Amino acid sequence: MTAETIIQSLASGLLMGLLYGLIAVGLALIFGLMDVVNFAHGEFLMSAMYATFFLFAFFSLDPLLSAPLVAAALFIFGALVYLFVVRFAVRAKANTGMVQIFSTFGLAIMMRGLAQFFFTPDYRSISHSWLGGKTISVAGIFLPEPQLVGALVAIAAFIGLYFFIHRTDFGRALEATREDAGAVALVGIDKNRVFALGWGLGAGLVGLAGAIMAVFFYIYPDVGASFALIAYVTVALGGFGSVFGAFAGGIIVGLVEATTAMILPPSLKSVGVYAVYLLVVFIRPRGLFGSM
Amino acid sequence: MKISRRNVLLGATAAAALGPIASRADTPEVAIGVIYPLSGSSAQIGVDAQKAFETAAEIINKDYDFKLPLAKGEGLPELGGAKVKLVFADHQADPQKGRAETERLITQEKVCAVVGTYQSAVAVTVSQTCERYQIPFLSADNSSPSLHRRGLKYYFRASPHDEMFSKAMFDFFDARRKKGQKIETLSLFHEDTIFGTDSANAQTKLANERGYKIVSDIKYRANSPSLTAEVQQLKAADADVLMPSSYTTDAILLVKTMAELGYKPKNIMAQDAGFSEKALYDAVGDKLEGVISRGSFSLDLAEKRPMVGLINQMYKAKSGKDFNDYTSRQFMGLILMAEAINRAKSTDGDKIREAMVATDMPGDVTIMPWKRVKYDEMGQNNDADPVLLQYLSGKFVTIAPEDVAVSEAIWPMPSK
Repeated sequence: MTAETIIQSLASGLLMGLLYGLIAVGLALIFGLMDVVNFAHGEFLMSAMYATFFLFAFFSLDPLLSAPLVAAALFIFGALVYLFVVRFAVRAKANTGMVQIFSTFGLAIMMRGLAQFFFTPDYRSISHSWLGGKTISVAGIFLPEPQLVGALVAIAAFIGLYFFIHRTDFGRALEATREDAGAVALVGIDKNRVFALGWGLGAGLVGLAGAIMAVFFYIYPDVGASFALIAYVTVALGGFGSVFGAFAGGIIVGLVEATTAMILPPSLKSVGVYAVYLLVVFIRPRGLFGSM
Repeated sequence: MKISRRNVLLGATAAAALGPIASRADTPEVAIGVIYPLSGSSAQIGVDAQKAFETAAEIINKDYDFKLPLAKGEGLPELGGAKVKLVFADHQADPQKGRAETERLITQEKVCAVVGTYQSAVAVTVSQTCERYQIPFLSADNSSPSLHRRGLKYYFRASPHDEMFSKAMFDFFDARRKKGQKIETLSLFHEDTIFGTDSANAQTKLANERGYKIVSDIKYRANSPSLTAEVQQLKAADADVLMPSSYTTDAILLVKTMAELGYKPKNIMAQDAGFSEKALYDAVGDKLEGVISRGSFSLDLAEKRPMVGLINQMYKAKSGKDFNDYTSRQFMGLILMAEAINRAKSTDGDKIREAMVATDMPGDVTIMPWKRVKYDEMGQNNDADPVLLQYLSGKFVTIAPEDVAVSEAIWPMPSK
């Protein structure tokens, strides 16, 4: 194995890892806010990819331009999901945990079914875009532009999110609601509004990831499943509810996956990721940056 | 008699139970189970398959003037014109779901035969279940050679398997070598279920026998979110021929990732699957000029056998797509099964099996380039010749074997 292969593997792993982080952060945000795991997270990603695809197919809008639109659309969608589904699920008097799980799980199955019904199960992809298929080569190391831009967007999104949470009133309300939803009601913060905002934000971020991924990945109704699984591992690894944890968790997953593939046969490359995950669960059950 | 609530209920239940029997007597129907992935990661295959089977059922049930068994006249003549009724089941590419759904098809839907399944891994469990209930199973489009070698009595396959397909590939390599072209090294790239593993085993064996060196043998997890590491290894090996055995999703990602990592294989010789799907060429066709895939069907045949073109039009009207290697075999699968049921003059599993065993159909009454259909003692038809197809300027042309080839192969693959 040459140094070149190792650097290439690590670089690819890092780029993929940042994207994994961006996909996972919405999940972490929602969980941190209200202790609800969104099992339809992968389907949010799928919807964003389809939205990007259709904007491209009907309006020839490049994914780079449509990314903010898709993120905004997903923001609204996420808020609506809270207002019309999750809000009722968390009100359940008995078996609250189960009701929450099944409400988002059911939503996931419904979204997949609707996508298959309306969009057909055909595999779609965006045939040409500004970034698609382009690659930057530095001293024999290839950095595909879509993933590179995806990684930069992910970093920018994390910085933006950091400032939003720590520097704005709404962000502080978000943090406060997360600390104690009962107490914030006493000071006149509308809990539902904050939760809806949280869901919107979480969905918007995965929307951003979906728009970028549509450039280099195929799109079909089940596409969310494999990424959602990685997102759950990422969040559990980084620490449930920790936004920074999702960022770090994503990078770790990406790098571990790339390293494992260098040592073990590629069909076993996810073994490394799950081994690290198990290790973290044994040693530090709340995740690396979890604060429960 | 006093009519109690219980009696009403009993009566209603009895009526409900008798209902299907009564209606069955009016319009005789023969139920055939068709099991495909209708949802999940390969739903596209199942949905296309559904259209292919519906086309075949339409040709059987209505009167068409094709030189194809059961096309003329309506229904199955030996069963009093009984109509073929398709009962679809969804296995979601999961062998365990395949087992459960087959069980349901046989015990509840009362099908007399089963056709399936696309994924060879699912065919394993589906055919075992059929064996247990003594119901014939026809592999319309599974290609793993180990499927017919398990001593099953109710298993049949009319199309070639991956050893026959791989042999065609190596015959092609040998012919190139004789012409003085250099083919020394091969890279195998295959998914990790029975389809990919069997295919790679067959290819490894042939490579060793005929003196080709396998410089990289990559087994990967199907539906991976990323194939970067895999492609790097292929790139480092840079073999004379890359031989992928991949389903559609992975094939798309493979081609995209190769482009992103600046790897242009010298030649690609694909084991069908993803490489005969329109979706792949829609997505990355520009990067696949000159790719060769094995197959068992080609639309070229329409020039010699006009009904191929006409039936393709019927299928296209339903699905919006041309027949490909899979949908053509699925179509034939139902025709073959229905033809045997008709000859059996019965819907009894054993009688249909006997009729299947006795099948001897000349190739020119099918839509495939087969010599004939005659199953050996393991249920495999050995008179089906595989073809090699090359993707050139947006369509597939037959390049081998020589007697059916319509043009000369472009080798090596054009490099753009």
